[in-house]
Amino acid sequence: MNRTNEILKNLYKIGLVVMLAIFLLSIFYEMHNLDSDRKRYLSEHYISEGVQETGAINLVASVLYDYRGFDTLGEVTVILTAAAILSFLVPIRKAAILSNTFTIIVDQTIKWMIPFLAVLGGYLILFGHLSPGGSFVGGVVLAIIPILLTIAYGVEISEYKFKPSKKKLIEDIGAVGFILLGFLGVLTGSNFLASGQANFGIGNAGELISARLIPYLNVMIGIKVGAGLAIIFNSLIKEK
Amino acid sequence: MEIPFVVVIILFCLGMYTIITKKNLMKIVIGFTIVESSLILLLILVSYKPGGTAPILDKGYEIVVDPIPHALALTTIVIGGSVTAVMLALVMKIYKRYGTLNIDEVRKLRG
Repeated sequence: MNRTNEILKNLYKIGLVVMLAIFLLSIFYEMHNLDSDRKRYLSEHYISEGVQETGAINLVASVLYDYRGFDTLGEVTVILTAAAILSFLVPIRKAAILSNTFTIIVDQTIKWMIPFLAVLGGYLILFGHLSPGGSFVGGVVLAIIPILLTIAYGVEISEYKFKPSKKKLIEDIGAVGFILLGFLGVLTGSNFLASGQANFGIGNAGELISARLIPYLNVMIGIKVGAGLAIIFNSLIKEK
Repeated sequence: MEIPFVVVIILFCLGMYTIITKKNLMKIVIGFTIVESSLILLLILVSYKPGGTAPILDKGYEIVVDPIPHALALTTIVIGGSVTAVMLALVMKIYKRYGTLNIDEVRKLRG
């Protein structure tokens, strides 16, 4: 009796998932046909006018920091909230699972990788409006540096090099700086975070100093994401 | 119907199956990340155009893919990472409190 019950339960769960698959199939079929109807006025506008309106040739950056800059502010708040919750939930204790048993080859490799990672992260953030990548990716690359230090030498060395209080300060500077830069849009008589109207560093599209507020917003988001991820990783790795 | 969409559906259902059937909390977290990956793949597929390049309007590129789903995929990745981190912290707290990761055991111990 018990076994048949179990089998029936499993069949019920599998049936639920199969129903979900059929449902998704019908929805995705509609989505798949979306392209042929030419219903994407908004994307067409972004692709044809985006470079002239924002000055950034990377259209994803122009959507993230100009057209939908307010949503990016909310997105960054999610990281801030996650880091705050983690440093609140996870008790600060010594890490015991990590021990320095790496060979000298691993140690030296990690030591030599760190400068290159710093350069790559800085490049991705600074050229976010001109090239693939951007501040979120660059921030993650920067966050790898303390994570690698934690993995190679343990959490004490990593937190000695990058102090938690300083990381929190950097994260807060990123969040507050984003909002303060957003007010430049208000000062020029337009909306909050409207980088298209802020007359600030309009160069030719394709140069490093161009695209108005977008490079500076990129830097803010980059240091914010990097510091936030480093806090999250080091908080999770600490355990008794 | 094309094959990538079928792959997305298979991944999504695999993740949902993991979430609703497994008892181990770590496996449930893994199921959530599988579902999230399938959604990112779906966003990339929706924005696809035949012959399109990345949405960077440098000289000589005429056909580019749709930039909006790419921005949304970035949002999905960031929020998914944050949610996964918070879930893992909660799993750590539950393990410390109850000494087990099985949800049935946790329910039993609670009484």
